[in-house]
Amino acid sequence: MNCVEIKNLSKNFSDDIALKDINLSFEKGKIIALLGADGAGKTTLLRLIVGLLCPSGGNIVTLNLNPQEEKEKLVNFIGYMPQKFGLYEDLTVIENLNLYSKLKRSDDDFEKLLDFTTLKPFKNRLAGNLSGGMKQKLGLACALLGNPELLILDEPSVGVDPLSRLELLDLVKKSITKNTSVIWSSSYLDEAFSFDLSAILDKGRVIFSGNTKLLGNNYETFEKKVIELMGGYQAHSSLVAKNYHIQEYSEDCTVVADNLSKKFGDFWAVKNNSFCIKKGEIFGLLGPNGAGKSTTFKMMCALIKPTSGRGFIMGVDVEHQATKVRRYLGYMAQKFSLYTRLSVYDNLNFFAGVYGLYGKDKKEKIERMINIFELNEYKNTLTSLLPLGFKQRLSLAAALIHQPPILFLDEPTSGVDVIQRKEFWNHIKALSNIGVSVLVTTHFMDEARFCDNISLFYDGEIIALDKPNEIIKSAKAKDMNEAFIKMIKNKRLENES
Amino acid sequence: MSQKLIRILALIKKEFLSIFKDPKSRALIITPPLLQLLVFAHAITMEVKNIDISILDYSKSNYSRELISRFSNSSWFRKVYFVNTKKEMKDDIDLKKSQIGIIIQNDLAKNIASKKPTEVLIIADGRQTNSASLASSYASNIISSYSSELQKTSSASVNVIIRNWFNPNIEYKWFLTVSLIVMLSMVLCLLLSALSIARERELGSFNQLLVSPLSHSEILISKTIPPLIVAFISSIIITLIIVFCFRVPFGGNIFLYLISTIVSLTSIVAIGLFISSFSYTQQQAILGVFAFQTPAVLLSGFVSPVEDMPLFFQKISLINPLRYYMLLNKGIYFKGMDSLTVLKALIPLIGISAIMFILARFSFKLKVDN
Repeated sequence: MNCVEIKNLSKNFSDDIALKDINLSFEKGKIIALLGADGAGKTTLLRLIVGLLCPSGGNIVTLNLNPQEEKEKLVNFIGYMPQKFGLYEDLTVIENLNLYSKLKRSDDDFEKLLDFTTLKPFKNRLAGNLSGGMKQKLGLACALLGNPELLILDEPSVGVDPLSRLELLDLVKKSITKNTSVIWSSSYLDEAFSFDLSAILDKGRVIFSGNTKLLGNNYETFEKKVIELMGGYQAHSSLVAKNYHIQEYSEDCTVVADNLSKKFGDFWAVKNNSFCIKKGEIFGLLGPNGAGKSTTFKMMCALIKPTSGRGFIMGVDVEHQATKVRRYLGYMAQKFSLYTRLSVYDNLNFFAGVYGLYGKDKKEKIERMINIFELNEYKNTLTSLLPLGFKQRLSLAAALIHQPPILFLDEPTSGVDVIQRKEFWNHIKALSNIGVSVLVTTHFMDEARFCDNISLFYDGEIIALDKPNEIIKSAKAKDMNEAFIKMIKNKRLENES
Repeated sequence: MSQKLIRILALIKKEFLSIFKDPKSRALIITPPLLQLLVFAHAITMEVKNIDISILDYSKSNYSRELISRFSNSSWFRKVYFVNTKKEMKDDIDLKKSQIGIIIQNDLAKNIASKKPTEVLIIADGRQTNSASLASSYASNIISSYSSELQKTSSASVNVIIRNWFNPNIEYKWFLTVSLIVMLSMVLCLLLSALSIARERELGSFNQLLVSPLSHSEILISKTIPPLIVAFISSIIITLIIVFCFRVPFGGNIFLYLISTIVSLTSIVAIGLFISSFSYTQQQAILGVFAFQTPAVLLSGFVSPVEDMPLFFQKISLINPLRYYMLLNKGIYFKGMDSLTVLKALIPLIGISAIMFILARFSFKLKVDN
């Protein structure tokens, strides 16, 4: 018995082929991981299965129904959680749940659901003010309404911290029955490894489909095999760092935070945050969603005025000489924040101009960025149409175009496929080697090992600040992921008692 | 080239790209003003033509027939209905079959013959105030000219000759089309500028802009120029259409006309940017535009002349840039307003622009620092 049957499926968007000749069948009652590089066609496939897109050729049977002709009937059995937060940000948690349960005509017990998702204390908070992890939990709760037979989750764990990710996974596993099937698209391989079945897409084709254990019996071999299937990754010298010229500077500490604090209403988002980033250092800010990482970032580039404390960049006070400071900065925001109505080229052209580049020099730098980040194919594409991973590449390219000596990267790798993540970090490491200082946040704990120093953040406060190995040692954990979960859980227990 | 200039040019170029690169937004900027110009110029009229009239003639004499023939031969009146009772006349007016009623008393012939004064009753439909008063004045004109003809043989009289300056035939279309230049350019200018910052905030690109070396003033300058240029060009195109297609003669100095258009539009951009500077979403910006636009149009002299408003509203309209824009535009277009008078109207506009830019700059900074 299969929940989804796909035969010879193809999908074109005007001239672009998104999916080509796909044959897949997913067994009922299993959790299926959908993997693939950025732009491989994962989201398109999921939307076709739900009936949000019409196939260009071939056919799909979802739960024994045709998603095109019998969509009305099908939606009663499906829970779909789109990649982008699909709820109403200006409604509260409980209002969102109410709305979706009415739309689905379900009679679920909200109290139980709220308890289950640990959203109860926040039920009257606006959905837009929830942290990333809580938003995903709420999205999941809405998808779970009406006990669907098929749960389709499009990258539910993007931008979610390791602990919340664990909880999200638990939530799904606990809330389904043995007849429920789940299709879970992901760029986290550790999640995928824990699922029954896997399907890997590459450039619109299926390159693997079957039992996850066929790819490897332990995580290391699984990861290696997946990367190999997706084209493999070979370390090479970073093209970004080549020809990257930063002006000479003598400051020892390029970025200094001195007791930075920020209060929103009567809630301390950040309390007494102090750190110093040395020239060429990669400094990682880790912590659960809502711990105050992005607020720290914004204070350091003068987007938010600190309640108290000061920030210095290259010895210049951030708050008072913001315009001077910003020339040294390359900033990549957490949420994609380039111009969606302009093409890739126009965006780069704009940011190059804003940082004062012009003429031949500007042209060359733009061309280089396009080549390095493999954006050639999308050069004239509107950025709103880019796959998530390519949006992140473009953001990084825009942050690097003026060759700043300091980089602020807020979750640069979220939503980026495993190979590109390696490539991103290859660039970041190479840049730090030539003297660029980097402040970075990430939810991928395997990336933490690339950092020279880490500040672990919880509830607006630093709970650990050390080298990655020291932190793992002091937490008595086997890796950063375990150390993170252990330390945050301990802190949580401490706060509760 | 200075770094400042490179940055400003880059942002201006980007603004133009985001306005014109998307075919939908391009069509939205070009089509509605042209369409509105054509539709409004033909549809909106305050002239009263095509009046239907009901006549109740008790007199049924030569004199009354002569009077009625003057109504039926007049170009103001379209159809003449003859009714026999007051009830029929009431029904005609109730049902809007006719807009005006004339009752001729049965002693008309007798009184005229004996050279005594006599009366004709005009009944107008007061539900449409403007057309009622116009229609009844047309009717009384006809009656009084008939009456003066009757007297001509016997006595001397003073004849009135009316000459309308600037619009010799009181063509309503002249007044309307030239006001439309102001209305359409204003809406375009206001919308483009009010949406500019709000859209960036809503889509999240604003932070990326703020962490770049662009200073707040540079952002405001770059956001001012594109809406100004787009609205300026559109106002020139509309003017050309009005001069050459609608054949409304342009009577003033082109240089003064262009200068006053630029200055007026600048003050409107300043208001648009002020609205944008405190709006978090495009929806809020649009609501802000409406909150400004409706009172500004009503107090601009477009609907009713500023001089006829209560004193309080006349005072308020002194800070309404649209009032000066309307005054300058019509004044230069029709009257050939002289430079000194133009200058007098430009000074308050420059003042309004300066104040609004300062306010926009201030509220912009306030929102960024929150």
